[in-house]
Amino acid sequence: MDDHRRQAIIEEIPRLRRYARALVRDRDAADDLVQDSLERALSRIESWTTGDSPRRWLFTIMHHLFVDQLRRSRRHVQAVALMPETIDAASSPPPQPDKLASAEVLSALEQIAPERRAALVLVAVEGFSYADAANVLGIPAGTLMSRIARGREELRSILDDVSRRKMIKVVEK
Amino acid sequence: MTRREFSMSDIHLALDGELPDDDRAEFERWLESHPDMKAQSARFERDGAILAAALAPILDEPVPSRLTKLASGEVKPRRSWTISLRNAAAAAVVFVAGGIAGYFIASSGSFNEEDLADRLAENAIGAYVTFTASLPHAVDVGADDRAYLEGWLSKRTGLKIIAPDLAASGFELLGGRILPSGENIAALLVYKDKSGNQLSIYMVGEGGEKAKGTYTPEEGGPTAIYWMNKGFGCAIVGSLPRGQLAEVARNAWRQMVEAGAVG
Repeated sequence: MDDHRRQAIIEEIPRLRRYARALVRDRDAADDLVQDSLERALSRIESWTTGDSPRRWLFTIMHHLFVDQLRRSRRHVQAVALMPETIDAASSPPPQPDKLASAEVLSALEQIAPERRAALVLVAVEGFSYADAANVLGIPAGTLMSRIARGREELRSILDDVSRRKMIKVVEK
Repeated sequence: MTRREFSMSDIHLALDGELPDDDRAEFERWLESHPDMKAQSARFERDGAILAAALAPILDEPVPSRLTKLASGEVKPRRSWTISLRNAAAAAVVFVAGGIAGYFIASSGSFNEEDLADRLAENAIGAYVTFTASLPHAVDVGADDRAYLEGWLSKRTGLKIIAPDLAASGFELLGGRILPSGENIAALLVYKDKSGNQLSIYMVGEGGEKAKGTYTPEEGGPTAIYWMNKGFGCAIVGSLPRGQLAEVARNAWRQMVEAGAVG
């Protein structure tokens, strides 16, 4: 394989790591996902059309691996049904959002359903166009748009909860 | 010019640079005349900015050499993707034969599911009794940095661990520690309330079939409320009246479910 292609792939690694971290919070697990993606990419380098940015191609590969991973882990999450109880959204008006620490924002991101999280991050953080993001995720543009919209709503309400909790703590002190 | 009616979805299109240029000016005017929509848009924009800011530092992190060396061809892939299934199967066999053999035999042999639940509850109560007896020494890592505490416990146990916020039930998080549980590592979170009552949450990456229940080994002693599912066990232990403990447990459980930390 020529050095030019390898170099182009190396240049994408920081972005792949960032996207992986949005999908999988733990740093080592995220880097494992990047590593798996690179290995798979290198094993099928011929599927990367010359002249194309490798970005979309690499993100697509990573997304497939992430979905596989998700499918495996979901088999273990059936416990939700154990405590049948609806989770009520807090009804009090959200307080003015305080300055939030990165860790709090990333925890909030992690609470968004993975499909919506992926759509939101691809577009709002990674700067993919709707067409490219839909392509990476393998979904129609309409589905992408509704995932983005719902992802934003979810992020807002989770961040409101975080701020609310911080307020409660401040009041208690 | 025909007036186009805008809606919420145009806010998303605009934020994502997908609104046609021709519509832009009119959209801005629409936004100005709809303060609620303008506030909504500003809020999404702010959330997007803090999200991007939280993720941005990752771009500047040094890239682990295992990744660059792999891409540059200096190291060979760990495995060939064409035979990865076979490798995975082989690895599974080694795993079963090795580390978890004891547990595997136990769960198919003399231990039935009830025993597993009892063992979970007893271990949790043992941890509660041992570590809440002397509160200053109850935790390894304090609650000052909750994110760090959660990350550390998650890393050590291999579970996704969150420390539920039990302020609504009057309990304040003191911190957490890890402790051995057979061949596994368990996590313990310790809480206390203003009147000195203690509460602990015990989580471990083992458990049989789905089960839940309460367990009080000694009359008047601490009670454990536990949940178990394949590969995950959690028990909340305290000496509170049963109803109050159940209330706290539901609160904690709900937060764990919301965070996806129950499996």
